[in-house]
Amino acid sequence: MQRISDPQTGAEAQPLEAPSLRARTFSCMGTVVSLTLPAASGADELVAATAVVERLFAGLDETFSLYRADSEASRLARAEIKLPDAAEVMRRLYADAVGWGLLTEGAFTPERPDGVLDLSGIVKGYAIQEAGTSLLALGLRDWCLNAGGDVLVSGSPGAESPGSGSNEPWRAGIVDPEDRRTLIAGYPLGGKAGAKLALATSGSAERGDHIWAAGAGIGAASGVRAAPAFRQVSVAAADIVTADVLATAIVAGGMPMLDRATDGWNIEVLAVRAGGELLATPGFRR
Amino acid sequence: MRIRAAVSAALASAGILLAGWQSGIHVEDTRSAAASTSAGINGTTGTTGATGATGSTGSSSSSSGSTDTGASGTGSSGAGTGTAGTDSGAAAEPTTGAAAKAGGTYTGSVVQTRFGAVQVQITVKAGAITDVEALQLTDDDRKSVQISNRAAPLLRSEVLAAQSADVQTIGGATVTSVAYLNSLQAAIDAANL
Repeated sequence: MQRISDPQTGAEAQPLEAPSLRARTFSCMGTVVSLTLPAASGADELVAATAVVERLFAGLDETFSLYRADSEASRLARAEIKLPDAAEVMRRLYADAVGWGLLTEGAFTPERPDGVLDLSGIVKGYAIQEAGTSLLALGLRDWCLNAGGDVLVSGSPGAESPGSGSNEPWRAGIVDPEDRRTLIAGYPLGGKAGAKLALATSGSAERGDHIWAAGAGIGAASGVRAAPAFRQVSVAAADIVTADVLATAIVAGGMPMLDRATDGWNIEVLAVRAGGELLATPGFRR
Repeated sequence: MRIRAAVSAALASAGILLAGWQSGIHVEDTRSAAASTSAGINGTTGTTGATGATGSTGSSSSSSGSTDTGASGTGSSGAGTGTAGTDSGAAAEPTTGAAAKAGGTYTGSVVQTRFGAVQVQITVKAGAITDVEALQLTDDDRKSVQISNRAAPLLRSEVLAAQSADVQTIGGATVTSVAYLNSLQAAIDAANL
């Protein structure tokens, strides 16, 4: 059994209990996706479920990746095809992204400052959501899906046998943006009815090229970019698309967007300011 | 003459409505006073059954369309409060002329909100609210909570803590496939592979 040392104290942590969980990973969309099931579900089930999730992610990546020259997104960016001719999922996600742009008063935008359509801010959340729907359709009730730091869960990790109705939540840790080997906070996901199931985190330092400060459209032309107010923003919500989009929007829109988000949506937010101070909604309080 | 009769009838009706409204307030007042068992918030003498009887007489006479215009409203208002005192059957009831100006302490019902149970008490003097107090503002754990869900400054020691050995998954800004290799999530995944 592998031991994980506790980076905060440097001390050796308690050995993990009997292997109660089983995980599989694959690489997609430039990051790594992990699917974790209670070990009681069986290894074969995990292999089959991971294959389903991987196919789904790979399919969306093929359409939406701007890193693939032959993707539909790249052909749209080169204006070889027009949006009305694009695949239905492309048009659907574009409509969703435009809707989120209106709801967030422009803090979330489906366009890069140079005007190129870029749906990467919403595709991963959508992929996680669709994967979750597939897992439920496969009859899996207890699982945790983590795609590059964005998490969606169902049920509980404590299920002795599948669907035993345990209401222990999945415990998620949130990395400290200053030191990615330590955790800055924890948050319980799932477990009991009504608990939030999704946790998404956006940062201004990590792959920051897909988040632009609101109003950067003007600044970007002259090469000036507004300094982001937050280094990292984590949003817990009932669904992963809302959590993902709002985390992105708050990093881009700063304090006004943070207040709009907490006023307008049923979410919990933990924000790390540029100076390292924390802002949190009551759900993140000890 | 018909017009005058109509006007006075209308005024009388308005008076009755006012009386009903005020008696409603006082019934509420009596209830909250009894519930909180704080004896005599307004501390006055109790009304007698005779006052109540006079009240009914007064209001019935006003509904019969007396030509007493402005005075009919005030009169029936007093009568209405008297009746309220009798109906609610409370021993101590503020029913003086001054109380007709809606003074006292009123307790609202408990309302469930997404922030927990909320109950508010207001103090009224001379028809104006002079104080508002939250009697209940708690969540399921009986802790007081903020009424706003806005994000507030928090010390690192005040957030829900987590140890990497004690979590099943790690949230963070998107890590690249390369960065994943050295990430906490990779360590957790490796433990469960």
